[in-house]
Amino acid sequence: MSKKIVAWIDQRFPLSAFVKHELTDYPTPRNLSYWWGFGFLAGFVLVIQLVTGVFLAMHYKADSNLAFDSIQHIMREVNYGWLIRYLHSTGASAFFIVIYTHMARTLYYGSYRRPRELLWWTGQLLLLLMMATAFMGYLLPWGQMSYWGATVITNLFSATPGFGEDIVVWLRGGFAVDDPTLTRFFSMHYLFPFIISAAVLIHLVALHTVRSSNPSGLNLADKDNIPFHPYYTIKDLFGLGIFLLGYFAIVFFKPDLFIDPANNVPANPMQTPADIVPEWYFLPFYAILRSVPDLAGGVVAMLVSVLIFAAMPYLDRSRITGGARYRPIYRTLFYVFVIDIFVLGYVGAHPPASLMKLTGQIATSIYFLTFLLLPFVSRWEEGRLLQSGKLPADVVDMARKEIEASHA
Amino acid sequence: MLKTVYWISTLCLTLIAGTAHASADLPSIQRGAHIAAEVCNGCHSLKYIKYKDLLSIGLTRDEVNTLRGEKSLGDPLKAQMAANDALALFNVVPPDLSLMAEAREGGPHYIVELLTGFAPGADGQTTNRVFPGIKMPDIFGIAQADPAARKEIEQKAIDVAAFLEWAADPQAEARKRMGRGVLIYVAILTALFYLLKKKIWRRLK
Repeated sequence: MSKKIVAWIDQRFPLSAFVKHELTDYPTPRNLSYWWGFGFLAGFVLVIQLVTGVFLAMHYKADSNLAFDSIQHIMREVNYGWLIRYLHSTGASAFFIVIYTHMARTLYYGSYRRPRELLWWTGQLLLLLMMATAFMGYLLPWGQMSYWGATVITNLFSATPGFGEDIVVWLRGGFAVDDPTLTRFFSMHYLFPFIISAAVLIHLVALHTVRSSNPSGLNLADKDNIPFHPYYTIKDLFGLGIFLLGYFAIVFFKPDLFIDPANNVPANPMQTPADIVPEWYFLPFYAILRSVPDLAGGVVAMLVSVLIFAAMPYLDRSRITGGARYRPIYRTLFYVFVIDIFVLGYVGAHPPASLMKLTGQIATSIYFLTFLLLPFVSRWEEGRLLQSGKLPADVVDMARKEIEASHA
Repeated sequence: MLKTVYWISTLCLTLIAGTAHASADLPSIQRGAHIAAEVCNGCHSLKYIKYKDLLSIGLTRDEVNTLRGEKSLGDPLKAQMAANDALALFNVVPPDLSLMAEAREGGPHYIVELLTGFAPGADGQTTNRVFPGIKMPDIFGIAQADPAARKEIEQKAIDVAAFLEWAADPQAEARKRMGRGVLIYVAILTALFYLLKKKIWRRLK
C-alpha cells in the first residue's frame, strides 16, 4: 500500500529521489565530531521558536497598554501558557548558544575556506536576521528593559550622517519608542522567522553542493564518506537529547535565568533604569560600541565587529587545511579571540567605570587585532609549517597543490 | 557506554534532588497571604492575583471570604486606597506587588531586606538602608522594635516575601513537578538514542 502511494507521488513529484539524494545517499564524512551537530540543533531550535511563537501570538496583545498584562495573562490564565512562553524565552538564548558554537566550530576548523565561502556568507546573513529578530522580540513584553533597550538601540541610527534623526523617527514610528514601535516590531518579529526559514533552505542548498567540511580538512575519498541517514540522523538525535536535557533544565527549573528583573516592571518612559543592559548575546558587541568614545565611531566599530566574519575566507591566507588542528599559532589566536569575547561580554554587562572602560578598550583592540593580524600571521605560519616537516604528508600535498593552483 | 548512561542519569538526579527539597513552605506563604491582603493591600495592588487564587495555596473558603469582604471571588486584589489618594499622600503611586519578587535583583531576599531595613535616622526620621528615600512607612515598626518584637517582624517579612514569591510565579510547583518527569523521560530517551547510535555505527567496522 505505502509503496503504491510513494510510486503515485514519484510520478508527479521526485519524493524518493529527493530522500535518496539528500538523506539516504547523501555522502557525509565519517569522521565528523559532535561539534558538527550544532547546525542540526539550530534548525531544531528554529522550529521550537516558530511553533511556540505562533501559539504565543494567539494570546499576546501588541498594544502598549495591554502588552505587559497579556504576558501575565499567558503566564497565569492560558493553559500551559507559562510553558509556551518559557520555551520561547529560553529558546532565544538557546538559539544563540547553539549558533555561536556552530560559528566557533567553523572558525576553529577553517570550514569557511574555499569552496565554502557562500555557505559561510549565508550563515552570516542568518546571524544578522536572527539578531534583528531577537532584538525586536525583546520589545514585545513591554518591560522596562524592553523599552529602554529598544530606545538605546534605535537611537544608534542617529549616527547616520545627514539624515540620522529622520531614520530614528522612521524606525520608531514617532519621536520616542511607543505604541507604533511596538506594533511594527511585532509585525516584523512575526515576519522575519519566515525569511530566516527561507535563508536556512539556501544555506542547506549551499551545504549540499559543497558538502560538510571535516576535522581533517582533507577532501575525503569516497570510502571515507557514509550516508547521512542513518549514521548522522542517529548521531544528531543523541546530541539533541543532550541539548534538550540542558534546555529543559532551564525551562522548568530556572526559567528566569535569561530574564532581567527590570523586565518584570512595566515600561515607563518617565523613568530610566539604573543600567540599561542588552540581552547577553549582544553584550560583546555592546561593549565594543561603548569602547569607542564617539557615537558614530562606536556604531561603525560594532557593525564591523559583526560583519568582519564574512571576510574570514580572505583574511585567513594559509593554505594548510584543517583550520586550527595543524596550525598552533592560528589555534592560539582562536583561543585568545574566544576568551576576548567573554571578557567583552563581562564588560558589556557592567557600567563603564574607569577600569571597566579601559578593559573594554583593550579587549576591543584585541578583537580587531586578531582579524587584522590574521592575513600576515597565517601566511607566515604556513611557510614555517611546510618547512618544519611535522605535518602529515597528505596535508602537505594538499597545501602544495593549492599553492601551485594559485600561481597558475 | 555505561559511563555515559551513568553520567546522564547523575546529572538529572542531581538536578531533581537539588530542587526537590526547595519546594515552597506553605504555612509561611499562607501567613504571608494574610499580611499581604490585610496590610500591604491597603496601599499596594496585587492586580494579577484574584481572591479565588488564594484557595490554591490552602486558605479556607471562610478565610478568603473574610479577606474579600464585599468583593467577588473572581476580583483581583486592587489596592484599597485609590491611586490618586496615594499620590496625594506619598507623592508616588505604590507599585503593584504581583511581580515584585521577580522585579528586583535578589528577588524575595530583597523584599525581606527592604521590610527589615528600616532604622532610626539622624534627624528623628526613619530611614531605609536598602532603599534610601523610600516613601513607604516602616509598616511593621521594626525601627523602634525591641529584640523580641524584631524577631517577630523578621518572620513577618519572610512570610510576606514567601507569599510574593508565590504570587509572582504561581505555577512554580506545577512547573517543577512536570520538569522532573520531562527530564527523566528525556534522559531515558537520550540513553536509548546512544545505544541505537552505537548499534548503527557498529555496521561500519
